[in-house]
Amino acid sequence: MHVRKSYLFLGSFAIWVVLALLFHGRNSLQLDSYENTPFTSFVGEQASSIRGNRTKSPIFIYFFNPIRAAISGFVEVIRSLIAVPVGNSIIPIIGWLGVLALIGFVVFATSQWRTSLLAIGLLFACGALGMWTYTMDSIAMTVAAVLLSLAIGIPIGIAAGLYDRVLKILTPFLDLAQILPTLVYMAPLALVFMIGAASATIATMIYSIPISIRITSHAIRNLNQAPIEASVSMGSTPKQTLTKVQLPMAKQMIVLGINQTVMAALSFAVIAALIGAPGLGKPVIDALIIRNVGQGFVAGFAVVFLAILMDRSTSAAARKQESFIPPTPKQIKNKRIFTGVLGLITVVCIYLSRTLLWVAVWPKSINISQQVEDVTNKVTTWITSNFSFITVGFKDLISNWVLNPLESLLTQSPWYVTVVMIVFIAALIGGTRVSILAFVLLMAIVLSGLWFEAMITLTQSIVAILLTMSVGLLLGIWIGRSDRAQRALRPFLDAGQTLPAFVYLIPMLGLFGPTRFTAIATGIVYSIPIVVKIVCEGIRAVPVALVEAATSAGSTTLQIITKVQIPAAKKTILLAANQGLIYVLAVVVIGGFVGSGGLGYFVIVGNLKPELQGKGLIAGAVILLLGVIFDRVAQAGARRAS
Amino acid sequence: MKSKIRRSMMAASLVAVSALVLSACSSSVDDAASGSGDCGSWAIAMHPWGGYTASANVISEVAKAQGCTIALTTLDEGPTTYDAMEAGSIDVVVEDWGGGRWEEWVTRGAIKDVGPNGNVGIIGMYVAPWMVEKYPDITDSKNLNKYASLFKTSESGGKGAWYEGVPTYTTIGEKMISANKLNFKAIFTGSEAGLIDVLTKAEANKTPAIAYAWQPWTLFAKIPDLEKGHVKFPANDWTDAAKASGLTDYPETPLPKLASTKLMDSGSVFATIVQNFNWTNSDQNTVALDIENGMDAAAAAQKWIAANPDKVKAWLG
Repeated sequence: MHVRKSYLFLGSFAIWVVLALLFHGRNSLQLDSYENTPFTSFVGEQASSIRGNRTKSPIFIYFFNPIRAAISGFVEVIRSLIAVPVGNSIIPIIGWLGVLALIGFVVFATSQWRTSLLAIGLLFACGALGMWTYTMDSIAMTVAAVLLSLAIGIPIGIAAGLYDRVLKILTPFLDLAQILPTLVYMAPLALVFMIGAASATIATMIYSIPISIRITSHAIRNLNQAPIEASVSMGSTPKQTLTKVQLPMAKQMIVLGINQTVMAALSFAVIAALIGAPGLGKPVIDALIIRNVGQGFVAGFAVVFLAILMDRSTSAAARKQESFIPPTPKQIKNKRIFTGVLGLITVVCIYLSRTLLWVAVWPKSINISQQVEDVTNKVTTWITSNFSFITVGFKDLISNWVLNPLESLLTQSPWYVTVVMIVFIAALIGGTRVSILAFVLLMAIVLSGLWFEAMITLTQSIVAILLTMSVGLLLGIWIGRSDRAQRALRPFLDAGQTLPAFVYLIPMLGLFGPTRFTAIATGIVYSIPIVVKIVCEGIRAVPVALVEAATSAGSTTLQIITKVQIPAAKKTILLAANQGLIYVLAVVVIGGFVGSGGLGYFVIVGNLKPELQGKGLIAGAVILLLGVIFDRVAQAGARRAS
Repeated sequence: MKSKIRRSMMAASLVAVSALVLSACSSSVDDAASGSGDCGSWAIAMHPWGGYTASANVISEVAKAQGCTIALTTLDEGPTTYDAMEAGSIDVVVEDWGGGRWEEWVTRGAIKDVGPNGNVGIIGMYVAPWMVEKYPDITDSKNLNKYASLFKTSESGGKGAWYEGVPTYTTIGEKMISANKLNFKAIFTGSEAGLIDVLTKAEANKTPAIAYAWQPWTLFAKIPDLEKGHVKFPANDWTDAAKASGLTDYPETPLPKLASTKLMDSGSVFATIVQNFNWTNSDQNTVALDIENGMDAAAAAQKWIAANPDKVKAWLG
């Protein structure tokens, strides 16, 4: 069966290539970039009329505009606390020393002193990078979005945890939200809620609410049933069971959910700047446009520091929930006194930060941004000028031998040939049901008028995921087998996951020029950490007994990897590929900024040129459709593999 | 254990509350407030390219000297900015390349076109200057096909690579290629950074390149001979890009300033400054180059203001 399937693959591929050669260039549905189809102009007109109606139509006056006003009001309150000057003052309510003390104290109170010191150190570093105000804005935006997300996500998550019906209704939406590339829904949101903090907060919430729902319901569902049954049998009402038994037991998981929600919200911080969100995204994007690598990195480092701060402090709080050794009365008393003293110091610091200017406004003398900028600029210039002959050679190799043939196969074949072939491959991997779904969605892309562009994007995504998987598998297996390697690589993976893709877009541009490969390379860097992490987990989950049996049977290391560990982790590896692809697709849009063309370019152009607005919105929708096809086929394949 | 957590939470909220109480008491820092007078507080849209940054900072510094409170707010060009102006969060665009795309907002009464800022936009296709030395006839559009094979890259599918402009700007590259039957393929660079990369590398490494460029742009200061690389197409015959035949070159565009109706109706001195602001391409390049060489934008603006008191005085009306 296994062999026959791969023959089918090769056979269908060969037929495809022959058909592509025969019908080269026919029915490829190519449009010039400035051309609209009746459908795209229709969508564009609708968008314009929404724009024009924002001040008149009742649905805006009574629904969208109040939501916008409420959310932006909420954000402003938090911002005025730490980030922006209030009223006639030149400082926010709390100056920098006060914020440092307050955050240090809150982290201490919820976790421990070591994390608290780390938090203070990281915040200080953000300030020293000259990013204090931007950092405070990002914290304010993140806090606002997280509070709102949790207020909505946790109750829904509890409901989904308790009732199967609720979970069943929610699941498709949760799945969709995970696939949705963030840049795609920002344009429609901005259309309705206008540019600014409100749109950015809502966009962030769309991204982070599903995560908090998922983890909360998971937490409720996977509790040890014995105490719950005991509570019910003792006559507790459902409400009592929930508040006295289930919620306390699920607390650690829920705090972990908060951690994930915070990280999701923060990962939005940079992109959100494109729709007017205040915060660290602003300097990053400014740097992209004027091509100042150093400035981009300075702001990027601040984003990474902030991410580490929030990750460590919330996960430390989660870990604290799981400690089962009860503290002695003396420890409790000590901690209480210590907390009280620190609280007092914090209050004093806040008071000082409102009275003395030099602890209110970040002093100009503590600023190393210029040095950091110079060093990173020098390093990147050195790398781009000394290595570009290698990188350009590699780029040309991949472009000429993989990218161009594949692109010509996908874009120059008649659309019906490509549709049939993709549906066939989907059937081979995921079965009949998924292939029907793939067919319907592909036809939707054909009708959208952006088929040709979608195929360009598809080509780039496939090449990116192939390269990502080949590197990701190697690294994942390596760190899956060696604890030392994992410890060594872990910080890089964490940084890779939090460093905004915009930051390394410019160095990539320096290495590869404005080409499709720049987008591909950016996608690879962005998606490798997640692929490596998932593959590593898969390898580690292979039962030790299996590996030991193979070892005692005299297998070599290579044999163990290829014959035991990879086959046993096959399902996880497929999931890693799926996750990687979704990450790649998310970056494809950004690639439009550096010459990748395709759908990403139209998402960007659509935001900028009203006459192509419809095309841009549809390009966003088509990216989503591609994502759904990938995701469904890979998930079905993974189910079959297990 | 639970009580311990609750206690620490309580302590945390206690600190937060006392912080707020303290905030209620006024303090000395508050009195250091700035920005008084009846000018009011206004926001200039900040589009981060060199020339724009120069103009915005000069207007902002002049207005601040008149007691205005000015915010420079970074956001995307085009509809994003026009929407923000309609919503009331942005008041001024100092240099707009949108080619009339704001019409819809003007009709609705949200935005006013307050006339040219004095800068003239010149758009065209430019080859790397070293090529002009080597192939003197390359700047005539009729000869482009003769050299098309030089411009081939792994991206351009056997044709010459034609690096097309930034998404916001008026671009008709595809039409120019097909109308003039050029053996080129448009590559969408997607950002200013992409174009800078192409042209600087081509000039430094003596590799062939043809790319969209515009003036005023600081790249022309960095590659001094870029001007000579302007490929001449027949004289322009269009103003509306949608109706352009593609046979001819881009038109020269006087760049307008846009302002919110709210500002122009306010009678503020800032409205007068915006209305009268006008300077030349070389004025702008002077300031832009200072900024690009590492000078603080506001400082560079101050330097120019100090050197040109007459011009500034004329703006104040």
